[in-house]
Amino acid sequence: MESLNALFSMGFATALTPANLLWALLGCTLGTAIGVLPGVGPAVTVALLLPVTQSVDPTGALIMLAGVYYGAMFGGSTTSILLNTPGEAGSIVSALEGNKMAKIGRAGPALSTAAIGSFFAGSIATVLLTLLAPVIAGFALQLGPVETCALMMLTFAAVSAVLGNSPLRGFISLLLGLAMGLIGIEAQSGQPRFTFGLLPLIDGIDIVVVAMGLFAVGETLYSATYENKVKVGLESMKGKFWMSKDDWKRSWKPWLRGTAIGFPFGTLPAGGTEMPTFLSYSAEKKLADAETKKQFGKGAIEGVAGPEAANNAAVTGTLVPLLTLGIPTSATAAIMLSAFQQYNIVPGPLLFDTNPELVWGLIASLYIGNVMLLVLNLPLVGLWVQFLKVPRPLLYGGIVVLATMGAYALRQSWFDLMLLYIIGVLGFLMRRFDFPVVPLVVGLIVGPMAEKFFRRAMSISQGDLSVFVTHPISLTILLVTVAILVVPPLLKRRQALLQAA
Amino acid sequence: MIRRVSGEQWLAIGLIVIGLVMAWQIGDISVDAGYAGVGPRFFPSLVVTGLVVAGGALLLQRRHRHGPDTIIEEGANDSDELAAEDAASHDADWRMFAIVSGSLLCHMALIGIIGFTLAGTLLCFGICRGLETRRPWLDLVLSFLLALGLFHLFQTLGLNLPALITGVL
Repeated sequence: MESLNALFSMGFATALTPANLLWALLGCTLGTAIGVLPGVGPAVTVALLLPVTQSVDPTGALIMLAGVYYGAMFGGSTTSILLNTPGEAGSIVSALEGNKMAKIGRAGPALSTAAIGSFFAGSIATVLLTLLAPVIAGFALQLGPVETCALMMLTFAAVSAVLGNSPLRGFISLLLGLAMGLIGIEAQSGQPRFTFGLLPLIDGIDIVVVAMGLFAVGETLYSATYENKVKVGLESMKGKFWMSKDDWKRSWKPWLRGTAIGFPFGTLPAGGTEMPTFLSYSAEKKLADAETKKQFGKGAIEGVAGPEAANNAAVTGTLVPLLTLGIPTSATAAIMLSAFQQYNIVPGPLLFDTNPELVWGLIASLYIGNVMLLVLNLPLVGLWVQFLKVPRPLLYGGIVVLATMGAYALRQSWFDLMLLYIIGVLGFLMRRFDFPVVPLVVGLIVGPMAEKFFRRAMSISQGDLSVFVTHPISLTILLVTVAILVVPPLLKRRQALLQAA
Repeated sequence: MIRRVSGEQWLAIGLIVIGLVMAWQIGDISVDAGYAGVGPRFFPSLVVTGLVVAGGALLLQRRHRHGPDTIIEEGANDSDELAAEDAASHDADWRMFAIVSGSLLCHMALIGIIGFTLAGTLLCFGICRGLETRRPWLDLVLSFLLALGLFHLFQTLGLNLPALITGVL
């Protein structure tokens, strides 16, 4: 129980200092406040609030950002339920069923089951993170460049082939991210690549500019061009707020099942929150008795409780590969990674040895943040609902001003604003033509790391590519990668043929 | 019959062009630094190949009514899909796109001259216009208050933002 010792002796000792408690509270509050705004997901919330942490010490900053991350998730469920506008893929299912509950006057129980379910799932997943992270970090120390590179290939294949409904589009998005990641000084030789002689490009393209360009500017351009005529209605908070005895009875099993489905998905490179939430929803639907089954699609509490728990457990799960391997498997995790890099901290197996106070303080703050969020969300839900009433034009205006400020603050250069706009137009086009953006973000941040590890692997094997198949761990990872690429299209084809027959 | 190039096909052409421009730039990377057969040109070459091939695949892909990458029978008609894309193009309000884009470009040009607060006010107001606000004066005032609030908040946090009057606006 070494990890529990470390958690209590170092983690809580760090997280429970007044300053760090304040950062966690500030993060949770700001995260919920911004995350509750329609169309703003956790990725953009973390990116928008990154400049706020610039003057804070690394531990405080990361504790605050973790609070922002969790807070945005909690806030997102409020928006999904009351406004039916999910800020990210993981909230789609809660929007589906939760909004129906709100429509029939059960907004209160929907919001409560989402908040309590998220708390349960977040807490259980944090316990799993505490127990698993040091074990995985220990295992990761055994991985050499060959295995790490194979793991990155698996991440690429998983995020591009599994997310979204078209592998080709996923790959194009990934390739665009990899291409952007190539811009700047090449790590090994120190020579500039693809800078077109432009000095500001020598440092490469910052992930914050990319995230805000894609999510904030791209979304605003899309909204102005295509969605001015779309009307969304805010459901009122009528009926009872608290969950009844029956609601509790119907919720606790879905919370547990959702957590069990969500956490493993989060830890996988194919992670994301979309798949576990859909899986949890369909599991609840299958397991429901005949009477409850009829309520699905019309406002069944199980359809909110399960997916919300799965969503939060998956989010905590993404911290496992991020902290132990340094590999982000979601857009938000990629931005968190860039926050680490801002302080020259390299997440990975060595983090537990080099910065134990920071990493255990961060994990301890997740427990504290979860409690804070429950306290913030249940009684104060009325306050957050007021945020949903901000007029859409002013909301987008504010978000873009924050985004431009974040981009400008990096180097005080108009060039970053130009880059923000160009990436915004790219985000607009990707949204218009249904390209997933997560592979781009992951490609941008993992691409340069993959290149570094590939070259290291090649130098060890003196240029012999077969090293990837002669190392058993690397071979296994690559076989899984191939399966991810090959199996879904085969299944799709088989299904099409069966349908045609 | 000559078929009109769709938006998606333009995007595919764009990808191929990006790939080709990058391929041309690869020539500028010195190969001396490479060892074990893998130099600084290797990874870019992979990415460029990927972009050109994927762009080509997207260009040649037929658009289907059941969403991207759906397998359909030979000879099936995809005119519905073309009609749907045309409808989407007609729904687009490019005037609003231009207003939002113009606001961002103006902000970029002016931030160093008139400071964060005023440039931010113009940007926020421009975006409100782009999103068809119905109360311009109120939005102008709120945009100013928002930008001013952010300016002071971030200045307190130690973030150096350009100002027209140092420490005030």
